Amino acid sequence: MTRDEKGLIFNIQKFSVHDGPGIRTTVFLKGCPLACAWCSNPESQRFTPELMVRGINCRLCGACVPACPQGAIRVSKKTGRIIDRQKCDLCLKCVDSCLYESLLRCGTSMTVSQVLAEVLQDRIFYNNSGGGVTLSGGEPLAQPDFTRELLAACKQEGLHTAIETAGIASWDEMASVLDFVDLVLFDVKHLDDKIHKKTTGVGNALILENLRKAAGLCQLWLRVPLISGFNDSTIHIQNVAKLGLEVKASKISLLPYHEGGKAKSLQQGMAYAFPEGRAPGEKHVEALRRLIEATGVPASVGN
Amino acid sequence: MQLKILAPEKLRKKVVSRAIRNIKRGNADDDSKRGMFRPEIRLDLQRSRLMTQSYKETEGEAMVVRRAKALSNILNKMGIFIRDYERIVGYQTADPNGIFHPIEQNWKSPLRLAKSAAGKTLLDAAGRRELKKLCDYWKGKSISDRHQEILPEHLKKYWTYEGTFLWSQLSELGIPNYEKLFKLGLRGLIAEIREKMAQIDEEIPGDYVEQKEFLTAAILSLEAVISFARRYAALAKKSAARQKNASRKKILAEIAETCERVPEHPPRTFIEAVQFFYFIHLVRYLEYSTLGIGIRIDQLFGPYYEKDLKEGRITKDETLGILQLLWIKLNELGLVYSPTVSSVYGGVASLQAVTIGGTDENGKDVTNDLTYLTMEAARTLKIIEPSIVLRMHNKTPNAVYEKATDVIKTGIGYPSLFNDEALIPLFERWGVPTEDAKRYAVTGCVYIEIPGKNVVRRSVGYFVLPKCLWWALHSGVNPKTGEQHGARTPDPATFKSWHDVLTAYAEQVRFFTEKIEGLERVNNELLMHYAPRPFYSSILDGCIERGQDCRKWVYNSMLHHFSQVIGGTNVADAITAIRKVVFEDKKITLPELIAIMDKNWEGRDDIRQACLNAPKFGNDDDYADLIAAEVQARGEAAMETVKDRFGHPHRGDGSAVSATYGLAADTPATPDGRQDGEPFSDSTLAPAPGRDKKGPTAVLKSVSKISTVDTFNHLLNQKFLPKFFEEDLKPAFLGYLKTWKELNIPHIQFNVVDRETLLAAKARPDKYSDLIVRVAGFSAYFVDLSSGLQEHIIARTEQSLK
Repeated sequence: MTRDEKGLIFNIQKFSVHDGPGIRTTVFLKGCPLACAWCSNPESQRFTPELMVRGINCRLCGACVPACPQGAIRVSKKTGRIIDRQKCDLCLKCVDSCLYESLLRCGTSMTVSQVLAEVLQDRIFYNNSGGGVTLSGGEPLAQPDFTRELLAACKQEGLHTAIETAGIASWDEMASVLDFVDLVLFDVKHLDDKIHKKTTGVGNALILENLRKAAGLCQLWLRVPLISGFNDSTIHIQNVAKLGLEVKASKISLLPYHEGGKAKSLQQGMAYAFPEGRAPGEKHVEALRRLIEATGVPASVGN
Repeated sequence: MQLKILAPEKLRKKVVSRAIRNIKRGNADDDSKRGMFRPEIRLDLQRSRLMTQSYKETEGEAMVVRRAKALSNILNKMGIFIRDYERIVGYQTADPNGIFHPIEQNWKSPLRLAKSAAGKTLLDAAGRRELKKLCDYWKGKSISDRHQEILPEHLKKYWTYEGTFLWSQLSELGIPNYEKLFKLGLRGLIAEIREKMAQIDEEIPGDYVEQKEFLTAAILSLEAVISFARRYAALAKKSAARQKNASRKKILAEIAETCERVPEHPPRTFIEAVQFFYFIHLVRYLEYSTLGIGIRIDQLFGPYYEKDLKEGRITKDETLGILQLLWIKLNELGLVYSPTVSSVYGGVASLQAVTIGGTDENGKDVTNDLTYLTMEAARTLKIIEPSIVLRMHNKTPNAVYEKATDVIKTGIGYPSLFNDEALIPLFERWGVPTEDAKRYAVTGCVYIEIPGKNVVRRSVGYFVLPKCLWWALHSGVNPKTGEQHGARTPDPATFKSWHDVLTAYAEQVRFFTEKIEGLERVNNELLMHYAPRPFYSSILDGCIERGQDCRKWVYNSMLHHFSQVIGGTNVADAITAIRKVVFEDKKITLPELIAIMDKNWEGRDDIRQACLNAPKFGNDDDYADLIAAEVQARGEAAMETVKDRFGHPHRGDGSAVSATYGLAADTPATPDGRQDGEPFSDSTLAPAPGRDKKGPTAVLKSVSKISTVDTFNHLLNQKFLPKFFEEDLKPAFLGYLKTWKELNIPHIQFNVVDRETLLAAKARPDKYSDLIVRVAGFSAYFVDLSSGLQEHIIARTEQSLK
């Protein structure tokens, strides 16, 4: 059976209450075709396992130095631990040698059965709270076979299923996944194709087409990562609300930008280019929320 | 006209917290400069004075009669007063900010405390002189003196706290049969006693003298309670005559009428029932140092409230107001404990809890308006006591879950939820008949009792399970002194698997339980001889019928004495770590590990980390959880091989108060990676602090693997962020509670506060004097805790939102 299908997973988060109704388990798949500069989970972007470094946990014990076949790690009391990312070939042997959760693996290859077993641990909570499982990322549609098989297996177990997606995939692929999905948390970043392309690396034509096709097939929530000066104008949000009405979205969520992704970028040894001061003000967000509600689509902030 | 009651925020200001501040951690000092009580609290010597005076006058008489006369002397002569906002009256001291100490049990502690810096505000110089004089009389006569004198040599060394257990003399609980009292009134009860007397006068049974003396004493004490209430009636009448304010005059008249009526006669109205209860409750404290409440408040008062409501005598609002006034009164109770005991009672006032919800003896749900009004009183007042115990069963209405969530949201730490379907089978195993088991109530913390039954429970000792494991890893020999203090278990070098460790641990648990029980048996018998309770006996089922004081017999089940076990989760994690690191990964031998632990991991942080990284209880990982289930069950089984004076097994119990912090000071490093003195997991079912990494659903799943029936009555703390209680997440929280119920977990309670608030309160106590946290089975003002205990609470894993 296809439960041996493997996916690259970077986190399985139990007791998620913001990724759909009730108490849920969110499975985070690694790898995303978009490259949004504000990404709050930058560790989810690449399609390969990576080394995450939590410097604060390091006790300079030096166990990782001999563990690295490339000789990419140096430790001294004076300089602390220095990892040469150029030399590092991501074999991640250092992770096994670290006792202090200072060197961490991000991205593990898991089978559908393995993930399902963990998801089913909390079945009793889903039953009692109207919850279920959510696949998030990264981009679940970027690993379409795994995503479909996992969702099919969850459906077979009678679980409520949701995916969080940017909607970028061929419609055939997406449609084959949606067969096993009750709720889609559909990201809407910008309605203007050019701006979309400029900031995320891809245009939005396919995304919006997929969204319109998905309407009616399953329940839809639109999610807007709200970034000051980028997509938080009244007119833009009004248009999002209109789109919501058109696709009969049951809810539109505004997710105000936060700098949570910054620290994680640094842990990955990546630069974080997104400028500061892009978090929208609370009052403004609330006004936008009311604006959406006025069109008749329920709206929320933060989930 | 509806009588006016102060608004909750004004009433709250009337509370002067009598909570104990923990000034010791085991034998070490713990911020004792703060003082053991808030500075406005006074040690009131009235009870000690009147009791001593009576004892001097009654020398040579039967002890049970002496006790009754001493109680009469107190109730007839103590100073009484009524405060200007009260509708329910009665104080245990003559000073509104007073507390007392049971001098006849132990006089050394208050004397030492009053002389020390930690107790200097309790008494003025004249008070200290008087206390000293009173103590002179009790030298050699107090229960504590007698206990130390009569103990066999081999037990004497275990009397002193060493770190494995703290045997404690105080804390006796119990729930009178209020239903019967309300039906008969004390006058009716006296008539019953007289009938019994007439019967024995006729029959002259073999224990005639014993019975006659007891029954005589019972009548003396009940008469004293009636006249105590009449003194309040007279005072209210006099005050009413002088009172100019018409509405206050009316209230005073009502008080006079109520106190004239109850507790002598059955109550007719809600307010009379409440006042009746309060007089009995007060005198129960005054007769003998005690704790807890335990009434099923909705079930007990429901009929009176409903009758008043139907007949137009009361409104819902007024009922709520009366409950709030009662809440304030309950906060006026408190006792002076010994400084060492403060290490387990950090922040405790009087450990009082009321029970709501659940079923009657036939399994019928008891929820009524008062179930909700009781929760509303707590929600509006936000004070530490009484804690509310909410019994949940399969037919508990949804509205009760919702109301409970609204109260939990305030952060006061209660209601704590008890799961009938998990607990009743446990009580049945203890030998409690099913119809009695269904009537259970909780007196305080998680102390389970059956209302009206002669349970007379004592929490006998605080029992440090990780220290038992430590002894097992040292063959019972103290490595510093070479002394054989624990059981002579095999040399750990010979252990072939973790099962051998577990067996040695269970033997140490049995060995020390025998010591605790040995101390307790002697004490228990001393209490029977020297501290009979004629008043309390007469308000319980069975004593009048048998003509016997409650200390001479017991309700026939193992629902009696227990030790409060702490650190069971740490023991489980430690044995799991030994299995993984020593026997599976073979990183190190067991003797090597023990040598490293004995140096508190010094220089071997790698081994400590390996132990920390071994699977831990609380992550829904069978590897750790199944060992935890076995460790808990084996420990309990070992305890239950030891029997009390009446032949009932000694048990563990989850009501660990602040001992998980206070007594951890004297347990060196343990193989779970814990360092010397580091606090234990904060409740018997809770994962060790910070070791649960998979969130609150995994915690519940792990916990559900520990069988309640195979173990004991547990406690589980969870900490949630306030934002989890915002409206849109309420369904998720309700789902969490329902799952807790379905997983058959016996208990759960919540701290709802964020780290930032706790840190701010630690830094600026003056601004956060009302901040309440749940410590164990009780709530406390955060500012009353020592900085170490504050840290322990801050460190508890906060279940955050993703």
